[in-house]
Amino acid sequence: MQLVFKLIPQLIAWTVMVLLLLRGMPGRRGAVLISAVTGFSLGVAGYLLLSRLFPVTLPLGIIRSAVGGSFFLLWSVAVAALYRSTVRDFPLLRVERLVGTIYCAWGAPLLTGMVAGGIGASGLPRLDNSVLQLLAPLLLLLAGALLVLGARSAEQRLTSSLGVTPSAFLAALVALLLFSSSSSILLDLFAPLSMKVMKGTHDFVHQFMESILIPDHVFIRSAIWGYIGFLFGKEVGFWGGMVIWFTPALLIALAIRLEPLPSVAHIRQGAQRRRLLADAIRTKQYRLVIPALALVALAAAAYQSSFPNVEYWDPKPLAVTATPAGEIFIPRKGEVELEDGRLHKYLYKQGGKEVRFFVLLTPAGKLTVDLDACAICKPDGYGQSEGMVLCYYCKTLIPLDTVGKPGGCNPVPVPFTERGDGVHLDALTLVNSWSRTVQSTTSSKGGK
Amino acid sequence: MNRLLRVLWGILSSRALPPLVLGFFLLLYIGIAFFFDETLIMLMAITRRIPLLAALLALLPLNGVCRMILEAGRYLKRRQALSGAVVPPELYDETLLLSAPGGFSQLEGRLSAQGYATRGSGHHLAAWQGVTLFPARLLYLAGMFCLFAGILISLVSRGVSRQAVVEGAPFPTAAGNGGMVEKIIFEKAAGPILARNLFIKVADSGMGEGEQTFRLYPPALFRGAFVYPRYLGISLAYRFFAPDQGGVVENRAVLPLYPPGKEASTVIAGTPYRLTLSLAKPEDGSDPYMTGKTLFLFKLLKGDELVLTGSVPGGGEFVRDGYRLAIPDARRMVITDFVVDYGVLLIWGAGLLFAAAFILWLPVRIFFPLREMLFRSQGELLQACSRAEGGGRRHAGVFHEALDLLELSKSGVKAEE
Amino acid sequence: MASTIIETAGLTRSYGDICALKPLELSVPEGEWLSVMGHSGSGKSTLLNLVGGLDRPTAGVLKVGGEDLLGRDEDGLARFRREFVGIIFQQHHLVPYLTALENVMLAQYFHSVPDEAEARFALERVGLGHRLKNRPGELSGGEQQRVCIARAIINSPKLLLGDEPTGNLDHKSTTMVLELLRELRAEERFTIIMVTHNQEVAAWGDRTIYLDDGVLVREERKTG
Repeated sequence: MQLVFKLIPQLIAWTVMVLLLLRGMPGRRGAVLISAVTGFSLGVAGYLLLSRLFPVTLPLGIIRSAVGGSFFLLWSVAVAALYRSTVRDFPLLRVERLVGTIYCAWGAPLLTGMVAGGIGASGLPRLDNSVLQLLAPLLLLLAGALLVLGARSAEQRLTSSLGVTPSAFLAALVALLLFSSSSSILLDLFAPLSMKVMKGTHDFVHQFMESILIPDHVFIRSAIWGYIGFLFGKEVGFWGGMVIWFTPALLIALAIRLEPLPSVAHIRQGAQRRRLLADAIRTKQYRLVIPALALVALAAAAYQSSFPNVEYWDPKPLAVTATPAGEIFIPRKGEVELEDGRLHKYLYKQGGKEVRFFVLLTPAGKLTVDLDACAICKPDGYGQSEGMVLCYYCKTLIPLDTVGKPGGCNPVPVPFTERGDGVHLDALTLVNSWSRTVQSTTSSKGGK
Repeated sequence: MNRLLRVLWGILSSRALPPLVLGFFLLLYIGIAFFFDETLIMLMAITRRIPLLAALLALLPLNGVCRMILEAGRYLKRRQALSGAVVPPELYDETLLLSAPGGFSQLEGRLSAQGYATRGSGHHLAAWQGVTLFPARLLYLAGMFCLFAGILISLVSRGVSRQAVVEGAPFPTAAGNGGMVEKIIFEKAAGPILARNLFIKVADSGMGEGEQTFRLYPPALFRGAFVYPRYLGISLAYRFFAPDQGGVVENRAVLPLYPPGKEASTVIAGTPYRLTLSLAKPEDGSDPYMTGKTLFLFKLLKGDELVLTGSVPGGGEFVRDGYRLAIPDARRMVITDFVVDYGVLLIWGAGLLFAAAFILWLPVRIFFPLREMLFRSQGELLQACSRAEGGGRRHAGVFHEALDLLELSKSGVKAEE
Repeated sequence: MASTIIETAGLTRSYGDICALKPLELSVPEGEWLSVMGHSGSGKSTLLNLVGGLDRPTAGVLKVGGEDLLGRDEDGLARFRREFVGIIFQQHHLVPYLTALENVMLAQYFHSVPDEAEARFALERVGLGHRLKNRPGELSGGEQQRVCIARAIINSPKLLLGDEPTGNLDHKSTTMVLELLRELRAEERFTIIMVTHNQEVAAWGDRTIYLDDGVLVREERKTG
């Protein structure tokens, strides 16, 4: 039952994708239907196979790359669409002609189906019962195939006026893939995008201000710096991410809106001219429906990403104190079982400062002590899932094997001594390490 | 050869070029982001080092110039067409050929009545209303040129030398012949943007430059380099004695200690000691950098071990447990970049051009966009063209009605004047 | 030879037990001005409503422009009225708070999109170039009816239907309106079907048919 609920968003998205594919390539229904079902099956089978043969990060990485790549493609198409609508001498894009061809009718549904199938399969839970383990993918395949037929009959009932431009078609497909993938925190792209945007904006603004010799914040009025400071803040990642997320679909809608109306000057009857113009305007209005759908799907994806519906092993930090000599001791066996392979969080308070850290037994059998923060992101902390920990801020997955190694979004390791009774660490080192990390990832002022 | 030139011109002046080049650099940025943390700096370094990338970037300002030439040419052709010259049909939204009627007098009257300015002769009629957006467009293109030319020049030629400018010391130059820094003045400013201002007064160096004052903004030029103050700090002389050390250590340190509370440390040469200093915040809320009255808070560390903490005023001494720390001299200091980069001027220029383009564009686009139409007899035929900047359905209606009228006048029917 | 624009066979319209139009055979060639006369309740307006797609017949065949109107659904019928028919009523039915120009543009809006220049031109053609900004209340009866003509012809109908269009006008205005219709018909080549009580008005047509109790009883063709 839980399985069904979990997969509902993906299956709805898949149905709408097929519907779009059918509407986007009229006259090639057979090819679209066959290749969609084939693609979906290949996606499910491929994911399951790869996840058995390799670490699960491989198939997940492939899906993320495919969805991310399609998003880049969408961006290029959106910019090209806008240019085409506003510039009369802009050369017709050869790629656009591909949309009507048989290659596209086979290729697009196949690729879409593979990604959608992979996303669906990634949502299947690991079950202990081997019969259910086999049954779940089969049920998924059956549902995928039935929904293709459902989409076909729904598409036939849709009004024929609901036209779709090639760019809008791509926008909606990509938006649905993003929506579909954002329902799994492991495949979500919005959070990492926000993170990259934040970093990129910080870099860019810093470099730009330095390049054009704008003075440091010391000299600038604080009200003015408040605006500039936003660009150095954490929120810029979210808002910048939103802009990048929605802009291609908006550009495509704008491109449709700005498409020139047909020339009717050669017609010498006013009513006929107006009729043609009215028809063209109505066609344009209908064409806006699909980009609007894409925007809704993108909004839903961003929402799912911001409020993920998943549960992680994330224990409440236990308060610890230091000895007068400044040593913190965590017993191997006590209130918690330190070596059970799970993340154990602690909280140490000194003066006004609070430091969160965790102790974990890695799969290699070694204990590691790390800050509940990384050197890059806002210190939102980590949660643990199967075989990995996850940064709550940027949703990066870190395999358990690499926890304890510094760099990137890995938790910042803290030096400690392991003795027979448990783990000993220096409170001052811990506080200093936290201060350094948090200072460099939360400073919203100054920037430079 | 001609064909090659035409193709080259077509590429260089294409509106597709900027998004393609920028898209390429974006992809490159994303690619680099996978491998390096300092993505932008790496991208800039790569572009600087690989001539092909710099050449690719150079396509952007080149495209700006080509667009300016192309669009100015089109604008001039349209202007000439208004006076009866040959009308290039590709420059208009709608162009068509009709079988020719008689004169344009009736049409001219109607168009005038509808608010169009007209100009005509027996064989041609031009009617227009509103103002062209072309000047705004030209400013925008010039801005694009300046921006990307500035970025390119800045990328390939920027040279920065970071120096500490210290009160009472010579202005730092490569040849060591800078004038004496007489005073560094840091004061509150009443401007809309700057809250504090900084002046560096430098005495005559004997190189014919006279006395100079370097301000914060706009940055002044000194021997071809922009003087760009970055951080404030203190240059201090200290005298240190520790009971476990042989003698007194005397040294100078240049420390970025502004704003008060900011810590900076220096290793005491020849000893295992390290000194961490910060400026105390005066209780009266004044700024020690402005007043020059400094009180230093210090931490003395030996290795990682904190030996003692305390405070010492500029010009004063601290003594405890056999330790002695004196700061006999503390002067204002500005960490200053000497930036040789004329691309900056172009980038500033681009900012001004973009602002001017926008200020010009907005009211024209909203209130008086250009609408024009042309009618020109060519033997038995009549060529009719229409164009509306930013689109205009009402104008299209007037144009169509004018054509209807010409058609009716051919068949002898007249509308009421 | 002109093609037929209206063709009916056994066209009937009943309202309950009352038969307003008894099986009618009628053929109207394209471009003809057909006058329809008869007493009140003779079925004139019923015929006009059927031909204009405002009402559906109870039985029979009604072909307009070669197409059987009965085959159209409500949307199709609305499209037919919008694109094929212009109607002028005895009461002008102009929107009182819109200007003459806006009234004409409203008809354009319901047809497709408004075009001010074209609407202005249409009003100039009916001699109201100086009354564009006046509201119906500020116009004389004849002027109002001319606005109605501009409104009726603005969408270039093939069929112009008049239901006593001059019924409320004095002799001079009546003549002016009918002359205008004749001129416009010559330019636009539309077909006119005009219901009237007035023999003099009917005489402007190429042919007059007389209805009595829903039956076509007589037909007169203009000679010369």
